[in-house]
Amino acid sequence: MKNSLALLSLLAIFGAGCSSTPLDAPADPSGSNYYGTDGTDAATAEALGLEELRGNTLLSQRSVFFDFNKYDIKAEYLDLIGAHAQYLNNHAPARMIIKGNADFRGSHEYNLSLGQKRSVAVKDALNALGVDDSQIETISYGEEYANQECQADACGQDRRADITYEVE
Amino acid sequence: MIYRMYSIFFGILVLISTPTYSLEVIEILGGKASEIPIAIVPFKGFENKAGQKAHQIISSDLNRTGLFRPLNTGGISNPPSSDININYTKWAAMDAQFIVVGKVESENPISGNIQVTWSLIDIFKEKTVVSMRYKGNKSQYRAIAHKVSDNVYEHLTGSKGVFHTKIAYVKKVNNKKYSLNIADFDGFNSRPILNTTQPIISPRWSPDGEKIAYVSFEKKKPVIYIQNLRTGKRTLLANFKGNNSAPAWAPDSKKLAIVLTYNQNSQIYTINADGSGIKQLMRSNAINTEPSWAPNGEDIYFSSNRGGSPQIYKVNINNDEISRITYEGKYNLSPSISYDGKLLLFLTNDQGKFKVAIQNLISNQVLKISEGPSDESPIFAPNGHLVLFTYKDYGKTTKIGTVSINGLKRLPINVGNSIIQEPTWGPVTN
Repeated sequence: MKNSLALLSLLAIFGAGCSSTPLDAPADPSGSNYYGTDGTDAATAEALGLEELRGNTLLSQRSVFFDFNKYDIKAEYLDLIGAHAQYLNNHAPARMIIKGNADFRGSHEYNLSLGQKRSVAVKDALNALGVDDSQIETISYGEEYANQECQADACGQDRRADITYEVE
Repeated sequence: MIYRMYSIFFGILVLISTPTYSLEVIEILGGKASEIPIAIVPFKGFENKAGQKAHQIISSDLNRTGLFRPLNTGGISNPPSSDININYTKWAAMDAQFIVVGKVESENPISGNIQVTWSLIDIFKEKTVVSMRYKGNKSQYRAIAHKVSDNVYEHLTGSKGVFHTKIAYVKKVNNKKYSLNIADFDGFNSRPILNTTQPIISPRWSPDGEKIAYVSFEKKKPVIYIQNLRTGKRTLLANFKGNNSAPAWAPDSKKLAIVLTYNQNSQIYTINADGSGIKQLMRSNAINTEPSWAPNGEDIYFSSNRGGSPQIYKVNINNDEISRITYEGKYNLSPSISYDGKLLLFLTNDQGKFKVAIQNLISNQVLKISEGPSDESPIFAPNGHLVLFTYKDYGKTTKIGTVSINGLKRLPINVGNSIIQEPTWGPVTN
């Protein structure tokens, strides 16, 4: 799990076209770019603490994984969420988009709702740490970018909420 | 009435003899529906360009319903093409309870107009149930054969046939190309009405047949469009903050139920088809989604995990009164209501296998009509006698098929080798 998280984070940082979708999955439609290089001036970068977002190992972890049909956050993700809460609290202009996902089992619409529950669960955890709602948007992709042929444990990769930042 | 309906559909229709209207009504659900043995005799005359033969189209139509057992008529010498001089003893010996005979003739070689004259004959009663003649262009060959099926079906079951209706579905190619397609109910004559690079889900046909509402991810998140099928033009129905999904038409085609999230969980709203008058239906801390409007226009069935696991509930739109509908099993989703309001169709997780199930809303009896393990997206035919759903072909590629509501016949609909998902069934239109 640690390795895959690290790999996913690398993908996010080096702008492989998606924040944390697996390599064989279709590209995230938001098509995030490498941030801080073009279009973002030094003052904005300072205000958003981009240096920190880029370098901090906890902040570079962006995915929270869940059990089947569940949306409660496991204890192992509390440090990650805590780091992002601190970052948002310290950088008022920063805007986070949380994208929920589900594995392919069950209906497309219910999975869209389940993915949303997961992104809201992450938002609620951030709220509990003092983050203002205006800094967070929650959406869901449901099972639409999930592996449609996964079996057993492999489907766990799709049951996740991905943290992204608007600036990225 | 019948005259008017068919004359609009094909241009011209001639009724040779008055139908007898002695309906041989079949008990559809609850009783031990046995399949009616029926022989569709090869029609005299020509087949269409693709080599399709009218009697094969009719046999295939009736076979899907699980109510008929079309007999093999291949080896019959000198098959009759009209109801004159029928050898009732011979057909009774073949175990045929009914036979359909007919002929296809060219009416005008220049315009390509044909006429199909056919009869439905009751072998046990030794009499003709109905004789009709359809005229149309030879390009309508399949449509004319489907109309024969509709008529046979209506005479023998008392319910309208759905063999001339359309379906819509999403085709997914290499996770890169998505298209929304419409086709005849049996998969023929398919054509795309939308091509995009992002997912499309939840298409729903308006009850008046004019529009399809669907969810597209083109805007990097789910939003709802309504597309006019005549003009091809589409309008954005809902693009609110968060997700916009699960459109469900009201019976009058003027309103929809939709699901929005803003920054919270999925909740159900109602909205006018022009995007005005948005109104929240109810609120809970749980997921509320997959609305499906009951034909009475007052109740909306939906799925919710308010009791822990997903189950199906209904809410009255006037007083927000909620009642739970499904109790059998721990995971029930995707409600759809028959057009008489008596049957609930849904997806159930039966010990890890996703199957299509039907609950009789009067007796609350549940019947699982598919085997799983990865079935999804069940939706009723407009007469409530057939169900369109998806299954995984060889456990891998999602495909569409039909299953009869007695669970007896499950048959694929072949619309190509791609992934086919999220089907919906269009209404009966005159």
